Amino acid sequence: MNEFLKKLAELLEVSEVKATDELKAFPQWDSLAVLSVIAMLDANYRVNLQAADFGPVNAAEDLWNLVQSRKPA
Amino acid sequence: MNFIYRGKRISGIFTVLPANEKSFVEEMKNFNFPEARSLKLKEVMGYDKRRMVQPGVCVSDLVSFGLQQLFDRGLLKREDVDALILVTQTPDHLMPPTSNIVQGKLGLKQDMVCLDLNQACAGFVLGLMQAFMLLEQESIRKVVLVNADVLSRKASPKDRNIYPLVGDAASITLIERDPANTTIHASVKMDGARCEALIIPAGGLRLPSSTETAVLQDVGDNNLRAKDHLFMDGSAIFNFVQTEVPPLIEGLLARAGASKDSVDYFLCHQPNRFMLQKLADKMQIPHSKMPNNVVEKFGNSSGATIPIAINLNLVDAVKRGKINACLAGFGGGLTWAAMLLEIGGLAFCEMIDYP
Repeated sequence: MNEFLKKLAELLEVSEVKATDELKAFPQWDSLAVLSVIAMLDANYRVNLQAADFGPVNAAEDLWNLVQSRKPA
Repeated sequence: MNFIYRGKRISGIFTVLPANEKSFVEEMKNFNFPEARSLKLKEVMGYDKRRMVQPGVCVSDLVSFGLQQLFDRGLLKREDVDALILVTQTPDHLMPPTSNIVQGKLGLKQDMVCLDLNQACAGFVLGLMQAFMLLEQESIRKVVLVNADVLSRKASPKDRNIYPLVGDAASITLIERDPANTTIHASVKMDGARCEALIIPAGGLRLPSSTETAVLQDVGDNNLRAKDHLFMDGSAIFNFVQTEVPPLIEGLLARAGASKDSVDYFLCHQPNRFMLQKLADKMQIPHSKMPNNVVEKFGNSSGATIPIAINLNLVDAVKRGKINACLAGFGGGLTWAAMLLEIGGLAFCEMIDYP
């Protein structure tokens, strides 16, 4: 998950994202950030999420768990 | 679905762009959004300049102007237009076809075929396929394919998801028979079940335009849009392109017995720079072989972006030489289509401004 959090931090242009951080609390969290994260998950984890999938996602670790559950076998 | 064509070629490409140029930096103050995030959007998506018609300008205006230029310059004879295929989603009227309107405006001969195609961002590939089919007829020697849209008129100025990327243009492509040209392969897929990912909800007969459909609504993320406006589900379209386009192109190349290395350029529809870079990365194609600079200079003009990418980047290559090109269009419908063909020896390849 460390690598994943590092990539999120890069996309949000902050020094660090913790597993318990609320993604929607970041001022940079907007539709562009969501699209950047979708592209990152596709490129690095081969997981295709839609913007609507982010509805129930609060903390960064929720997103990580969602990615794990969608990962191709 | 797969297609093969023989003995046909593109012989010229001519694009008309409205002279009216808009700048993202000037327009971003219209969006209810922090400036830093708008600048980030500009950097990532490649939004900068785009072309937009003046109020009231229609598709037939741009197209008639372009064709008249070709006639005046001696690049095309009026009487040689055996078929006019006009691909647009922004027709002058629901009825009659805009291609007939252009024919009438220019006084083209009656002994010809006018055909409107309602296709979106895959419209260049779909239009070429239609042109090749018409050229199977003895009586048709030259086909004029037009990809023209004035989608800026259907975009909400308060919608940051769509307004900064839409541009207007009309591209005119001349297609004719050439027994010497190599075999052309094409592949098309459609999925109407996902049609609502790119839609103008009102203005047709299902939901006629009214004072209600013109009301701007808060659609989230501080964007305002009416039912009369173009809607795009950005993340759904992004996933659609990343998921569907690579296997379409790979299947096409495999059937043609071609490798990625043997293709000189992958000329894709130009939604924005971000999506094209991600597509190139996914397909392991160097960015230099997939031009992505149309949106930053002119905006996304739907079906016209592939011919514009050629006009902008490859004039010498297609006039003096010959390129092995893989075209790919994808968007509204949903429709995704790819074509492998040689493009070379063009008699003309240029862009002009519509005053």
